[in-house]
This record gives sequence, C-alpha cells and structure tokens, in this order.
Amino acid sequence: MPNYSSLDQGGPHDEAESLLPWYATGQLEAAERARVERHLYSCAACREQLTLERRLIGEFQATSPQLESEWARLKAQIAPPPVRPARPSGLAELWSILSRPAVATLAVAQLAFLVVAASLLVSLSRPDYHALGSAPAPAAANAIVMFRAQATQKDVGDALGAAGASIVGGPTATGAYLVHVDPARRQALLARLQANGDVQLAQPVDGDSP
Amino acid sequence: MNWPGIARRARAEAARSPAPDDRALLARVAAGDLQAFERLYRLYQPRLSRFLTTLLRRPQLIEEVLDDTMMVVWQTADRFRGSSKPSTWIFAIAYRKAHKARLRWPDPVEDPETDTRVSDDPAPDDELDHQRLHDSLIRAMDQLSADHRAVVDLTYFHGLGYREIAEIVDCPVDTVKTRMFHARRRLKQAIGGSLADWL
Repeated sequence: MPNYSSLDQGGPHDEAESLLPWYATGQLEAAERARVERHLYSCAACREQLTLERRLIGEFQATSPQLESEWARLKAQIAPPPVRPARPSGLAELWSILSRPAVATLAVAQLAFLVVAASLLVSLSRPDYHALGSAPAPAAANAIVMFRAQATQKDVGDALGAAGASIVGGPTATGAYLVHVDPARRQALLARLQANGDVQLAQPVDGDSP
Repeated sequence: MNWPGIARRARAEAARSPAPDDRALLARVAAGDLQAFERLYRLYQPRLSRFLTTLLRRPQLIEEVLDDTMMVVWQTADRFRGSSKPSTWIFAIAYRKAHKARLRWPDPVEDPETDTRVSDDPAPDDELDHQRLHDSLIRAMDQLSADHRAVVDLTYFHGLGYREIAEIVDCPVDTVKTRMFHARRRLKQAIGGSLADWL
C-alpha cells in the first residue's frame, strides 16, 4: 500500500511528479508504477521531467564525488587567484584571503607575512569603545592556525585543546582556523602549537603580536 | 579417484560462484569471523565512501566516519535482526555517524567565488557542453543541504527506493519525497541555462 504524502494529495500529476525519480530507477511497486505510467501517457510535462531524471541518473552514475573533491583541491593549488570586484575590509578580508585554497601553496614565511600585514587592517578596523549595557562580545579571534594536510580531525582537536584554543572560525578548505587563546599566554601557547608536527602555521592575527 | 583434479575444479567453481550475500556475511561477522568482516568491508567501503563524501566535505573526516561506521558493524552485528536489508542497516549507521560528525565539525568555509569563476580549461568543442553540464550539476549539489544531498545520492546513484531511504535517514517517507522534490527543483534551477542541452 503506497504511502501518500502531502505532495501526492494534489492529484495524479503531483503524485506522479514526486515519484518520477524512483520510477526512473525502477524502485516503485507495481501499483505505483502503473499509476505513474497512466499519468505519463497524458502529461507532456512529466514526460519531459522523466527525460531529465534519466539524464541526472546517468550523470550521477558517471560522477565520483571523491574524484571531484580531489581534483578541486589540486586545481585550486595551480589556479591563479581571481580578481575581486569589491574590496572588503578588516577580518573579513583576512579570512577571505586565508580561505582561498591557493594560499595553501604559499611558503610558511610568505604566509606569516601575509597574516601580519592583514592583522594590521584588523586592528585598525576594531572599534575602541564598548557601549554601556551591551551584551558581552564573544571571544574574538586572536590567532590563526593552519594544519598540515595529513592531520586528522583528532590531531586538530588534540592540538587546539592542548593550547586551550577555542575555534572562532573555519576551517577553510585549506584547514585554516581562526582561534581565540588566552591573551596573557598567547606567545607561549602559539609556541606550543608551532612545535606540534601537525601544525603548519600558528600566528597572532590582531596586530598585538610582540 | 583424481582428488587433486576435483580440488582444482572445486577451487575454480568457488572462484566463479557469487560472493556470499550480505546477510550471510553479517551472520558470520556477528560470530566474530574477521575474514567475513573483511569481505563485508571490501563490499561496502566504496559505496560508503561515496555516500560520506556526498554528505561530508573533508577527506580526513570521511575516513574517520567510515572507520567508525564499520567498527560499529563489527561490534554490533549480532544486533542486526533482519527486519531491513543489511545495506539499509549499514547505511543508517553511516548516516548517523556522519550527522554527529557534522555537529562537531561544521561544513568547511566555501570559496565564495567558486560559483562565478569561469573555467579556463582548454576543452574541445564537442566536450565543452557536457563539461559545462557536469560542472553545473556539481555546483548545484554543493548548494544543497547535506540532508538533501543524501536523499539525491541514495536515489540517483545508489538506486534505493524512498522507503529504504526513509529508514536510513530516519524520517517519514513523506519527508524523503519532499526533500527529493525540492532538491530536484533546486537542481533544475541551478543548471538553468544548461537545461535545454539536457533535454
């Protein structure tokens, strides 16, 4: 006994339209299949949709998400960065830059320079007042940490946990996190992260670096 | 009697015989048969890997969730009662594990320019249209939620019926139909300009 959904209750057209994917893959029971076929006979829109369903099935069968994911990662390393139409500012810009996969190909020294330069923008854009009665602001990011490609999620969690770092943003596709660490111990905590073999880069990002 | 010949024929016959079905393998796994578990792993690893890649976007996370899923299968195979297909039971474990992983690790930040960047790949004319369609579909999938991607992939690639999908993602069949309905509409909109080439 087919289970009618709210989509089916609109009549034969709505029912057939909602079942077309499973009609196309041969997954309907005989009674449902017969109803869809009866409707297809008289509905050109559903026949066209069925053609699309079959194309989609063919495409999905030929597509490998794993391959797409790997290719996107490799391609990002060789594609030039696109020209941006508008220029955002502050932390958004820093994060946008660091979110680009191409950044992962930079040497650590180059990346560190980029982080420090962008940090200056962040510090300049930060308001220097706090309204009375306003809610306490969430912990702001004061460091960025990038992990090596082979680091597992557990490695990431262990490394950040050991430094008492809380994630404020990320990770980007390249494995970069904006984090907050105890400001008073930031230098020591970042040094601890830098000593971790899974960490590619750990730098302050708010321009207050010593 | 030519025993070596018989043994040889038996081995050849065994090589030609189909793999044991999932239920038989699961029963052996429940009894602690590591060899059966390896066969089950080899059967399911490619399918689960694809499903998890569709749901999650990070290779390291996919590997971790796949391992967790198969460890649950190894440790709890004796609890499989046979009321559903073994594949439904295993995919449901994978879906739950992926869901928990997504709560711990939200989707990666997407490159905001991915959708607008024009590919500069040199491609022969006769391949260009298909490549464009293919790219449109990949981008359209990226724009769907993980729950919608799961239903689409289980339907179009894994060829599962809506009742089985409802068991895997643990929701009413109406929800599966609704998710599929809206996902198809989104896919259709997203591939928009390329649609005429498809039909």
